Amino acid sequence: MTEILQQIINGIAIGGVYVLIALGLTIVFGILGIAHFAHGSVSMFGGYLTFFLVVQQGLPLVLAIAIALVTGMVLGVLIELLAYRPLRNANHINAFIVALGLTMMVEGANLQFFGAEQIVIPTNASRVFDIGGLTLPELRLYVILGAAVLIAAMTIFVEETKTGQAIRAVAENRDAAILMGINVQMIPLVVFAISTALGVAAGVMVGSLFAIAPGVGEGLVVKGFAVLILGGLGSIPGAVVGGIVLGVTEALAAGFISSAYKDVIAFIVMIAVLLLRPQGLMGRA
Amino acid sequence: MGKRLLTCSVMALLMGTGGLAAQETLTIGVADALTGGAAVYGLPQANSVEMAAGEINAAGGISVGDQTYMLDVIVYDDKANPTEATNAVRKLIDRDGVKYLLGFCCSGATGAVASFIGYEDAVMLVGNAAERSITTQGLTNLVRTRPPADYTGAAAGAFVARQGHKRVAVLGALETSFYASYVEAFEEEFAQAGGEVIAHEVFASKDRDMSPQLTKIRAMSPDALLVVGYVEPAAFAYRQATELGMDIPRYGFTSGSEEQFLRVATSEQMEGVWDLRPTELTLQSATEAGLAYHANYTERFGDAPSPSSPYAYDQAWALKHAIEAAGTVDDTEAVAEALRDLQVFPEAVMQYLPVDGKMFDANGQAYTANGAFQWQDGHWVFVEELPSDPAAYSEFLSSLD
Repeated sequence: MTEILQQIINGIAIGGVYVLIALGLTIVFGILGIAHFAHGSVSMFGGYLTFFLVVQQGLPLVLAIAIALVTGMVLGVLIELLAYRPLRNANHINAFIVALGLTMMVEGANLQFFGAEQIVIPTNASRVFDIGGLTLPELRLYVILGAAVLIAAMTIFVEETKTGQAIRAVAENRDAAILMGINVQMIPLVVFAISTALGVAAGVMVGSLFAIAPGVGEGLVVKGFAVLILGGLGSIPGAVVGGIVLGVTEALAAGFISSAYKDVIAFIVMIAVLLLRPQGLMGRA
Repeated sequence: MGKRLLTCSVMALLMGTGGLAAQETLTIGVADALTGGAAVYGLPQANSVEMAAGEINAAGGISVGDQTYMLDVIVYDDKANPTEATNAVRKLIDRDGVKYLLGFCCSGATGAVASFIGYEDAVMLVGNAAERSITTQGLTNLVRTRPPADYTGAAAGAFVARQGHKRVAVLGALETSFYASYVEAFEEEFAQAGGEVIAHEVFASKDRDMSPQLTKIRAMSPDALLVVGYVEPAAFAYRQATELGMDIPRYGFTSGSEEQFLRVATSEQMEGVWDLRPTELTLQSATEAGLAYHANYTERFGDAPSPSSPYAYDQAWALKHAIEAAGTVDDTEAVAEALRDLQVFPEAVMQYLPVDGKMFDANGQAYTANGAFQWQDGHWVFVEELPSDPAAYSEFLSSLD
């Protein structure tokens, strides 16, 4: 029993990262209908930038993360303004192609600025907590708490603030939102800023828990889309549940079956869920 | 994309030839992993060949009769991928006209090239790639400076048993054949001493989260953990074992440098870890040539060399001596034969154990001693030599198809 609980804790930490990636994707997809493939590469950019600020510039980790988050928000705004906005009324295939091109551009920029070497963001979080036979490394604890805080903050923002209500209104019915006096030009900028900040946070978590290297972002965005489909397209609670389910499934599969098949097993679970609930775990029928 | 490096120096032009001998350029090729997960082995190897070529040129080049040859090195990135390696070597042979191929850090890529090199007018010198079958195919134009993985695995199994462990769990890249052969030999020796391997958990070279496998291993309460794999996943395994509170001895087979491990884990997380591997470059175990190599490499590239990188450095010097002994650069058969007859030379950084007085045995295989290294206060410390019998292993290797 202890082993199962330990595997679940292992899975929740990585699941938290998946949730943040999926939340960023789901708000962009839910509101703008864009499959933002570059999200993983942008996320890695955040991790690289944090590493650069900590290791090369000697900044404290918390300050480096704050700068990376703000830079990520600015980058998100620029992506919306320069890449996606000009295509707003064009065919969906155009945005799809731009998304793929953007992925290559951001990946190439990461390679150019930060090099091809794998990097690990250094932290001082090396303590281990023992709770009733279960071990919780300090770093994983921070990742779980960080993800929980960001999920809560985003939920409150979307549910409780005027801007959040405006975002939901645009997602529901863009034309009605215009009639209600909502500035629909501003909403995509806010959405991309939030989405990219969440991606940067996920990148920092991946970079400190594991490592960042060329290609890691692509794997992450595939998992993000899997969570999106598992939880239900455009559903914020679905992204949260889907991310945790995927993370825990992977951990249990690796621990009890084989790590070689953990991705396969996680995707089999996803397919099984979709056969029973085509709209995803929390999606609307 | 290839990197062409002309390493001839003006000094070399002016010295040693007395103005009488004609001077030409001999181009040698390197195919190695310069990017990707295996670059931790491949890039230092490519650097080592470049450095050795510079030193050979500065010392007057390679003398063949009245001719003096300065080395010119072409380096291609094979990404440790069999297809990329095949393409890189084909380019070297077909387009660049290269006859001497060096580098080769990784077994999959090396095995692909070895499968056709026997039909080529070329000589292949293999470095860090440790898959046994590379030197069991009867290829007369191939030699390898690194001993096969199972040669080391058997010595490691005996060593771990001597530490009093009875139940060992293995975590590693067991889907890679040379790591699997290390573990197989380890297990055989360990079982003979009354031990048992109670788990074989696998990770892939790109995996960075080994906590599920380690959680499973922890529940089995082993006496010790054996980690075999590339440096980076192995470093994560060591780090995550401490994060899971696993307070058991950790052994490994990785050949990573201190800098490479410290990029992933802290020195505290690494404290006490053993690396059971060929006695490669570690300052405590280095000869004068090894110390000079370490100092020159660090000065030239700004990073300390990885322990396995001298396998490639020694390739370049072995080639120089073989060409000089054969008295030709064009007759690759004669050079390959001269390599087989070569004795260990003074510039060698690794401490080779000759078989019948020669550096390479009849299979083209060189041997070093095996060693037990332990992480102590931020450094790999050479603790003891592991029993190694190259003559017996060479005989065993010859008995294989």
